[in-house]
Amino acid sequence: MIVLGVESSCDETSVSVTQDGKTILSNVVFSQITTHQAFGGVVPEVASREHIKKMTVVFEEALQKAKITAKDIDLVAVTKGPGLIGSLLVGINGAKAFAFANDIPIIGVHHIAGHIYANQIESTMEFPLIALVVSGGHTELILMKDHYSFEKLGETQDDAVGEAYDKIARVLELGYPGGPAIDELAHTKAPTYAMPRIQTKGDYDFSYSGLKSHVINLVNTLKMKKEPIDKAGLASAFQQAAVKHLIDKSLKAVEDTHAKMFIVAGGVSANKHLRSEVEAHFTHVKTSVPPFAYCTDNAAMMGIAGYYQYQKNPVSDSMRINGHSRLNLE
Amino acid sequence: MSQSLKHLVLDSATDYLYIGIFEEDKPLREYYELGHNDHSVKLMDELTKLFDALNMKVTDLASIIVGNGPGSYTGVRIGVVVAKMLAWTKDVPLYTVSSLALMASGHTGKVLAWIDARRNHAFLGLFEVSETSMKALDKEQYTHLDTYKDTVAFDKETTSGKPNIKKLFNSNLLTHATHIHAVAPVYLRQTEAERNLNDK
Ligand SMILES: [Zn+2]
Repeated sequence: MIVLGVESSCDETSVSVTQDGKTILSNVVFSQITTHQAFGGVVPEVASREHIKKMTVVFEEALQKAKITAKDIDLVAVTKGPGLIGSLLVGINGAKAFAFANDIPIIGVHHIAGHIYANQIESTMEFPLIALVVSGGHTELILMKDHYSFEKLGETQDDAVGEAYDKIARVLELGYPGGPAIDELAHTKAPTYAMPRIQTKGDYDFSYSGLKSHVINLVNTLKMKKEPIDKAGLASAFQQAAVKHLIDKSLKAVEDTHAKMFIVAGGVSANKHLRSEVEAHFTHVKTSVPPFAYCTDNAAMMGIAGYYQYQKNPVSDSMRINGHSRLNLE
Repeated sequence: MSQSLKHLVLDSATDYLYIGIFEEDKPLREYYELGHNDHSVKLMDELTKLFDALNMKVTDLASIIVGNGPGSYTGVRIGVVVAKMLAWTKDVPLYTVSSLALMASGHTGKVLAWIDARRNHAFLGLFEVSETSMKALDKEQYTHLDTYKDTVAFDKETTSGKPNIKKLFNSNLLTHATHIHAVAPVYLRQTEAERNLNDK
């Protein structure tokens, strides 16, 4: 089965061609990152304007690179949410028009399901598994007892881990996006500051606002006293605390559910410290992190998730399918 | 081989959603309704119904004509991405037209067509519209509405109107998109973030 995937939920315009939920025939990603760097973050209206400039040309490239035509496609899988609504609507309406013109069924796919299924590219999921979803908008633990079955065990009570990274990168003047910048700098030095203990309500919940505020207050105090800031030592201290929180909660979830596998999904899965900590701490179960190229938003993961969604429930959506800025995974 | 003379016309830049299929300049079927922030739900759904009712395919079209703004940023993008996609994937010639001209075409006389842009501002255009044709009298702009009204003469002003395609076919207001991928909405305004950046 050949699936054409379409992703436009944030600042990447992407179209893919994948086969049988595994093989990537093409995955074209047009990243707007340089456009948004000038603003220090993603500006929704700017993102939407970029998507419409690129949508059809990204479709064309994806078909050309896969060496197929529209006739060869069995299913169109498009991100229906969550995400920036203006951006989502460009991808959804483009995908609907393509599906209608070429008489192909279309389904809307949850963006986080896509991130989770990025793990199917190089690994094979074994159930039950625990998925740790980490990005600029999400920090959650999901139990999967089978393909396309999602049970949320817990989530962040406040900030997402990626959001905390971005804020701290801004305070340390490391630029945008902040995650990779902190990760790089943290690797050059051991922690030189103490971080607070993180407390949460539930066993599988997360909290990053306390850690974030602590770092921001520390920087402000040092600045006020005109004392030097050891940026590398601080980045390292923050990163170790932030990742330890993820590892601790994930270990507990894996243990409590007797999961056979632990996987990481979302933009923060590209974090090198997180990847090495997963390898170090989860020696008792199978693990997977997506290949680096598929950690950030891309249409290949949407096509693969779409394949499994359609296997489980072979019903296409109508032409009334719409985008949703907020959407539960279930 | 019979040559197709059918045209699809779309506009979703205003509160109204317009979809029409024409044989030369005669409407075969049209949809024109006040939307409720649901152009994204309705456009492809209603368009599919029109094609089904006429037993037509996208390949039966001689051209696609899309209103490319100005207007609601999100609304205009929905129409433009659909038109671009249909035109590109089935190799149908694509034409763009001002959404203000489409609105004005439904009226006659010196027509001031405008779309509210808040703070007493509007996206507006001034047209001379006859029973059979029309032309633009001024460049379309984003400006203070009342100030503009004081400087020009017009017979009527309007914020809606069902398009009259015959008048547009007889005008010079349609632009052939020689490069479909490059078609983008006409916003007439930079984003707030860009304006703030430029002010620095
Ligand atoms: Zn994402």
